[in-house]
Amino acid sequence: MMTARVKVSNPSGLHARPAATLVKAAAAFHSQITIENLTSGSAPANAKSLLAVLGCGISCGHRIRIVVDGEDEVAALASLKSLARGGFGERVDQ
Amino acid sequence: MRRSQLISGTPGAPGIAVGPAWRYRAATPAPAPAAGAGRGDGKPGKKPSAKDAVAAIQAAVAAAGAQLESLASSLKAAGRADEAGIFEAQALMASDPGLLDAALALARGGEAAEAAVRAATETAASTIAALPDGLLASRAADVRDVGARIVRILAGEDVAPPERPSIAIADDLPPSVAAAIPPGLLLGIAQESGTTTSHVVILARALGIPAVVGATGLVEAATDAMTLAIDGESGTVAVDPDLPQLANLAGRAKHLESRRQAAAALRVRPAATSDGHRIVLLANIGGPDEAPRALQAGAEGIGLLRTEFLYMKRQSAPSEDDQVEPYRRVLAAFGPDRPVVIRLADIGGDKALPYLDLPVEANPAMGVRAIRLGATHSDLLAAQFRAIWRAAGLAGVVPRVMAPMVATLADVELLRELRDEARAAVAASGEPLPEQMITGVMIEIPSAAIMAAQIARRVDFFSIGTNDLTQYTLAADRSNPALAHLQDALHPAVLRLVAGVVEGAAGAGIPVAVCGELAGDPAGALVLAGLGVTELSADAGCLDDIRAALAGVTKSQLDDLGRRALAAAGATAVRAMAGDLLRPGRGSGRA
Repeated sequence: MMTARVKVSNPSGLHARPAATLVKAAAAFHSQITIENLTSGSAPANAKSLLAVLGCGISCGHRIRIVVDGEDEVAALASLKSLARGGFGERVDQ
Repeated sequence: MRRSQLISGTPGAPGIAVGPAWRYRAATPAPAPAAGAGRGDGKPGKKPSAKDAVAAIQAAVAAAGAQLESLASSLKAAGRADEAGIFEAQALMASDPGLLDAALALARGGEAAEAAVRAATETAASTIAALPDGLLASRAADVRDVGARIVRILAGEDVAPPERPSIAIADDLPPSVAAAIPPGLLLGIAQESGTTTSHVVILARALGIPAVVGATGLVEAATDAMTLAIDGESGTVAVDPDLPQLANLAGRAKHLESRRQAAAALRVRPAATSDGHRIVLLANIGGPDEAPRALQAGAEGIGLLRTEFLYMKRQSAPSEDDQVEPYRRVLAAFGPDRPVVIRLADIGGDKALPYLDLPVEANPAMGVRAIRLGATHSDLLAAQFRAIWRAAGLAGVVPRVMAPMVATLADVELLRELRDEARAAVAASGEPLPEQMITGVMIEIPSAAIMAAQIARRVDFFSIGTNDLTQYTLAADRSNPALAHLQDALHPAVLRLVAGVVEGAAGAGIPVAVCGELAGDPAGALVLAGLGVTELSADAGCLDDIRAALAGVTKSQLDDLGRRALAAAGATAVRAMAGDLLRPGRGSGRA
């Protein structure tokens, strides 16, 4: 099992589109992947479920914890961390 | 005769529409009978088994997902990317494992298929609706929309579109229903719930029809109405309007329409002030698929082709071969007479990618990104340059390229080296390629703006990125909503830098474009033109308004605006000055 903490800096938080990007990326791995909102103290949610991720209520500036567990956990965590750093596929510049 | 009634709501999308009401009712017969029918009707032979319900739900969920995906891809193909995004997210909701598990568990427990889906989606929707973040909470409408779609499929129902052009009224019109109504039959949308960020509002804007949201009492008042008149600018709905009201609205609608047509009619001519001072209007695009929309909007070329689309969402860097065809497509679409400026990839920093092995930075906006990767990841930029040389050779045009995040003259020299090495490599392979590449830099870092006169001697053009220039000049992180008030590029500090860049460029005889958001705002466009900027590049949807704004002023008015803006105390004052110039220009027909 591996974990990472990331700060979400998307201006509108993890709204539908960036959340969908996260869910699609998570679904590509076999590992069990959960995400929790450390700022609001949400329960761990299945990162492969868009509804569960939206339900974490992740707004801009919130800190999240990603927990991955499974055979491809190293690759999964690396991929999700870089996705988070890249704004979940959301263009933040002009 | 019925008395007319005026209902106030929130302006959603601009415009005026008059027509019959088309009442949308969600496909949700009261939940109770559906749940009861499965359990206690005492006819075991006709009662669907739990197994049947499970199979029906699985099939309906798959069908809903497929419908939504196809809706998303047809919207995407039509260039309506924002709306496509809505339905991509809805498709994921339809195939959500948590939602499916919850519905299937209810069905196995004896619940009828429709009731199980309705209960499972309602649970998910109410969790989301209860979130403190309003934008996230508003996505509950999408969850309910998906649930209603699955229920409609289970029940074999379909929403019949209106038979004649109508104004849709609803508690909450699902975006999927609005998008499925054939063009021309939907004149406008008025609904009781919703806010300016609702998806239905985004749809209405994209369709170019008016929308009013948050109109409390609307459905009850309007259901039996003969005629509705909605005004998307004041946010009002007139139910069975009387003749004076209709005449007033018709007059305003005519005025708006003639304004829109006048703006669209200007597309055939290059943008200019009323006394003939030319401004080149270009479009910003994010990939080859957006080129047709830019051409339709009358863009004289592309001032900013973002290339990040080639680098995002993949596990390895795009090869040279991966890039040639997308570049060639855009270059060929615009031909030799309409310039296309390709921006080198602005990646790294806050747009970290799995194949870029870069350390995490505390302050990525000021980190190792864009041209700064040239030192450590020169292979990336070299491959991009080679691909652009080859694409230009295939398209038979002289390519234009600019580098983002240039801070120093050393960055410019690095850019030129990479360009020339790439040309030599392509030439050695014997492929056709042009003699030269018109090479520019983005001015978005204050140091580059301050050094503009020196940098201008080593490049062919400047393109100012006002968003980043504002963030760096005012030291205000643009992703931080608490600093939104510092993000106005009309701040005189930013404008003085722009004026300095224009002066520096003039010394070397090179043109200055602006491709930031400021160029797409009519007030900003006037101020920039007043400061001597000669090319403006913005989203295709902004070009009509900019063209109309420019046509309403003279060159001397622009120059005067530029002078006063530089001397102003703050962004608000500058915006007011530009606003004064915009208003009389718009209403030139009035006394």
